Amino acid sequence: MQTNFTPDQLADPDIAVADRILRSCVHCGFCTATCPTFVTVGDEDDSPRGRIYMIKDMLETGAPASEPVAFHLDRCLSCLSCMTTCPSGVDYMHLIDHARTRVEETYERPAHDRALRSLLAAIMPYPARLRMALRAASLGRLGRGLVRGEGMLMRRLRAMLDLAPAQLPPPSSTERPGVFPATGERRARVALLAGCAQQVLDPGIHDATIRLLNRMGVEVVVAAGAGCCGALTHHLGRHDEALGFARANVAAWTREIGAGGLDAVVTDTSGCGTVLKDYGFLLRDTPEAKDAARISELTVDITELLLRLDYQPSRTPKTPLTVAYHAACSLQHGQRVTDAPKTLLRRAGFSVAEPKDPHLCCGSAGTYNILQPEMAGQLRARKLGTLHALKPDLIAAGNIGCLTQLAGDGLPTIHTVELLDWMAGGPRPARLPQGAGG
Amino acid sequence: MIAPSDEAGLVAAIEAAAAARTPLTIEGLGSKAGFARPVQTAETLSTRNLTGIPLHAPQELIVSARAGTTLAALEAKLAEAGQHLIAEPPHYAFLGAEAQTVGGIIATNLSGPRRIAWGAMRDHVMGIRAVTGRAEVIRSGGRVLKNVTGLDLCKLFTGSYGTLGVMSEVTLKVLPAPEATGTVLLAGLDAATAVKALSAALGSPFSVTGAAHLPQAAAAALGHARSITIARIEDFTDSVHYRIGRLAGIWSGFGAVEQLDTTASLALWRAVRDAAPLALRDGDAVWRVSVQPSAGPAILDMARGAGLDGYLDWGGGLVFLSGPGGETAHAAIAAATRRAGGEWWLLRAPDALRHRPDALPPEPEAMAAIRRRVAAAFDPAGILNPGRLHAA
Amino acid sequence: MIALPQPKTDVLDRRDAVHEGLRALLPARAVITDPSRLKPYETDGLSAYRQMPLAVVLPESTEQVAAVLRFCHQNGVRVVPRGAGTSLAGGALPLADAVVVGMMRMNRILDVNYADRYAVVQAGVTNLGITKAVEADGFFYAPDPSSQLACMIGGNIGMNSGGAHCLKYGVTANNVLGIKLVTIEGEILELGGAHLDTAGYDWMGIVIGSEGQLGIATEITVRLLRAPEGTRAMLAAFKSNEIAGRCVDAIIGSGIIPVALEFMDRPAIHACEAFAKAGYPLDAEAMLIIEVEGSVEEQDSLLGRIKEICGRFDPISLKVSQSAEESAAIWKGRKGAFGAIGRISPDYLCMDGTIPTSTLPEVLRRIGEMSEQYGLGVANIFHAGDGNLHPLIMFDANNPESMHKAEAFGADILKLCVEVGGCLTGEHGVGVEKRDLMSVQFTETELDQQRRVKTAFDAGWLLNTAKVFPLKPGTDTTPAPIPHAA
Repeated sequence: MQTNFTPDQLADPDIAVADRILRSCVHCGFCTATCPTFVTVGDEDDSPRGRIYMIKDMLETGAPASEPVAFHLDRCLSCLSCMTTCPSGVDYMHLIDHARTRVEETYERPAHDRALRSLLAAIMPYPARLRMALRAASLGRLGRGLVRGEGMLMRRLRAMLDLAPAQLPPPSSTERPGVFPATGERRARVALLAGCAQQVLDPGIHDATIRLLNRMGVEVVVAAGAGCCGALTHHLGRHDEALGFARANVAAWTREIGAGGLDAVVTDTSGCGTVLKDYGFLLRDTPEAKDAARISELTVDITELLLRLDYQPSRTPKTPLTVAYHAACSLQHGQRVTDAPKTLLRRAGFSVAEPKDPHLCCGSAGTYNILQPEMAGQLRARKLGTLHALKPDLIAAGNIGCLTQLAGDGLPTIHTVELLDWMAGGPRPARLPQGAGG
Repeated sequence: MIAPSDEAGLVAAIEAAAAARTPLTIEGLGSKAGFARPVQTAETLSTRNLTGIPLHAPQELIVSARAGTTLAALEAKLAEAGQHLIAEPPHYAFLGAEAQTVGGIIATNLSGPRRIAWGAMRDHVMGIRAVTGRAEVIRSGGRVLKNVTGLDLCKLFTGSYGTLGVMSEVTLKVLPAPEATGTVLLAGLDAATAVKALSAALGSPFSVTGAAHLPQAAAAALGHARSITIARIEDFTDSVHYRIGRLAGIWSGFGAVEQLDTTASLALWRAVRDAAPLALRDGDAVWRVSVQPSAGPAILDMARGAGLDGYLDWGGGLVFLSGPGGETAHAAIAAATRRAGGEWWLLRAPDALRHRPDALPPEPEAMAAIRRRVAAAFDPAGILNPGRLHAA
Repeated sequence: MIALPQPKTDVLDRRDAVHEGLRALLPARAVITDPSRLKPYETDGLSAYRQMPLAVVLPESTEQVAAVLRFCHQNGVRVVPRGAGTSLAGGALPLADAVVVGMMRMNRILDVNYADRYAVVQAGVTNLGITKAVEADGFFYAPDPSSQLACMIGGNIGMNSGGAHCLKYGVTANNVLGIKLVTIEGEILELGGAHLDTAGYDWMGIVIGSEGQLGIATEITVRLLRAPEGTRAMLAAFKSNEIAGRCVDAIIGSGIIPVALEFMDRPAIHACEAFAKAGYPLDAEAMLIIEVEGSVEEQDSLLGRIKEICGRFDPISLKVSQSAEESAAIWKGRKGAFGAIGRISPDYLCMDGTIPTSTLPEVLRRIGEMSEQYGLGVANIFHAGDGNLHPLIMFDANNPESMHKAEAFGADILKLCVEVGGCLTGEHGVGVEKRDLMSVQFTETELDQQRRVKTAFDAGWLLNTAKVFPLKPGTDTTPAPIPHAA
């Protein structure tokens, strides 16, 4: 596609990258068909191609982002379904990331919007703060009925309260830095991204990952100094904050490489994995560029690692269990990990079913379900409809965001690794109703 | 009768008629003069002397014929190269020995049993040359199989009964004729059950190219004691053998399935194509009705109640009816067809029927207004077959 | 650069009133007037051409479409219909004084009838969406343009879209039974239905492929076909375009009609392989994708015959796909061809002429010469069975000279197609792109006759003005209407 940047504009390395991306787009429109917001709304402005066009215009004119541009870019889930579809290989992810930063820098959001975004950025990446906030929110649920009105603020508040779990599990030992040694002979040594929100919402996931890996002869390190991956702030357009998280993680794991060596950096939250795999790009112009690229190289999703290590179950479900596998967008589009989770679940003895339109996002998308409750709700309903149609016993996914988003509709939502751990000798997943699967 | 032997002659004739505002009857050999509404003019312009096949490129699946070429001559030419006309145009038995022209078959858009699988005549007209009522020569389409350049006047001319212009030459898509033909046959079904069986056949993955049901009277005309329900496969010999076997399996729940070989199949489907199962008496009218297939049996039943005979082709979607051409019968057919969302044609009828406003399905006013403007766009003086399709 | 007609100043002057009028007819969120929201609508799949519209409306029902058209008719406002905006001919290019009617919200499938083998869908349902809705039951909708994932059936009606499988199954016009058409006057016409033949003039035949000149289709009844037992593709690679062309002739001449017969030249093979990794032979000058259908035995038998024929033409390689996955990968490369070119060239123009298949070697040779002459790369994809040729001209839109050359190169190719007995466009439509070449194929008398048909439907020439028909000679700024009876 034609672009109109001046040589001066192109001197800015970020614009140069954007120009390269825009030039690779041939405006064919294939992406519109698989975009969750376009199929929901039917408006070019809510399609990847439309957004690319708006971004092009915003960057070319150099003008501040207008309200409509901010509105439509905000509505993008960053699910990256468009990138799976695109025959031209357009790097939409880096384009929208850059554009979000530009919107954040140039667009004056309404006060309540600013406040909410700052609040999310200040709480979500920090487990202790999040735990405190969620305790408050679970009290707040009692008062949900008082949050009335159809204004955006009210709808967002209700969305937040709805997402907060009624009861928060106690913190797990895996939350603190430490080394979890392999059982028996050590085959590998990996760092686990402890992250932020997941360990508060469902510490059982990390526990399962560590148990399973230890049992398979893998030493797992939760490195001191590593924390949130930076995705949350990154997608809020807070570029510098995100880079701060990224740097800290790269530094922590680089130290580990120096100390005991690392065969992999493993994530069991695919939303984070996508960003980790992008550290090389994010930090490309910093002194840590080389280290960051190495960390990205080392990063694998837990299912990729388990397949590599030839995961084998030690038993099978006593009664047949049908697992509706929900492909998290960060896993299927962001990391292109599509078969590993299903292969492993089948190997573990589960019957795996996939819903219609598996490429469509469930509406979770980081903080999207709080910031865009209406669209997120429509996508959730659509996804749950297709999942229920499979008449499954439970929903499995590899991302805490999806698990939280899809919970509360009658079907247990369980992380893939908990099911794999269970069949390899671990405890029965807490969310699975008694009796199911024996 | 004016019967020019070249396109320039057509131009001259139409130019003169337009100048004098003299209406012309447009025809080839006149075999279908009894179709639709009658035209009465002092002068007739015929394409019968515009004959010849200027282009046949078998590898490109293309043939061009001048409009007055007889259908039989064109089919013979194609057969030499092992090819055929895809839509299997009929040689209606009730037209007698009268030969028909290629132009005529296109102007009336008549297709045979294969239409259900491979499309109608209108689907295979790739190009035309025509002289409009303005005495201007126009071309539309061309000699290639895929062409969306400009408005598709080929489609507009096909089925226009000579009211927009006189075609001088047409170019058609053709296909290799099949190596073998096979038929599965069920005897004794009622029409509604028959259409279910045909639907199962057409809904199978075996590329059925003919699907008809002949009630007892129609079947008797072909020497069968009971009604027959038939489906056809045309393909390479091995495929026909295999697919006929599979179809017989699908139909086994409907009764004993008989299988016909190529020779028997060709004869049977030729009869279905040519409306030979209609036993016509003098003065009988012939209707052709197009509805969605599941509506066919009800039309047939209704017609039988009105003293008419008939049979179903196109899986039930094409109903041939014949019998005394009374206005009550016609009104009943029109009403039932309209209820079913379909359309009808008169192929033979007393003048009283042919003059009725509903000789063809009436149009809503908005459509009629456009139709008048479109007709005037080609024939402003209204000299070409006036009244052939619509009274006004 | 193509000329667009002078906007009607009286309409531009009434911009706010037009916006208000539209808002009175549709929900607020269905009327787009903000410039930054209009921006993405300024172009379609042919992004070299751009024009901001007066407004965009996104109706949700036939009645809303009728209300909008009636309003535009009463107020002399031009209308540009738009589906998914995937036209490669600029069919949905807006005009400054026009309202774009976007059909994307009318995306419901209204009825599916397997007994009578049809489906009724709204115009904004995607082409592939129809097949997706019925494939679990064994049926499909046959036309399959390369953009079938995204393009909408309303747009398919506009352009009479084809695809790789139309050699056997035909194009859009051959697979549509009924259309609900809204005229510029806001009248709702029902053309055809769920039955096969229609009496009187073939209105569907003239509407399909009319590129939005005659009305807007809102509901379409399409034929559903039962899918074959199976399909399988094979690749055949040859040492020259000419040899591959002769092999195509021999296959057709043998009486076999493959369901698809696709030809790719060397640059196309390389571009597509980079995208799809389908195992295309990178050492070949020309490649055929040949697909057959039927039971496994039938596939084997047909592919055996075809292999035998290909074998007579000294092939570099013959590869029969062994699984559905392999066949899908073979097609993925072909279907993604246009986008794949985006990986090797910043921009491309996709031509769409049709030629008599016997002229393929000569046409490719001359295109090769032009490519040298213009200094622009070209990759050729050819629906070999039906003669539809897609040269993809690679250029750099950021370089005005390159862009100018690409346009001239494209025009030369299309003139060549007409010269050898073919036509300007086989399935993409004329749009704005090939509008000024119409006089290469048609005489002024012929164009006037087509214009009269347009006038009979749309006397004020409000519908998709400046597409299909060249502007008035001499002025190049106004459309060229002609009274229907003049």
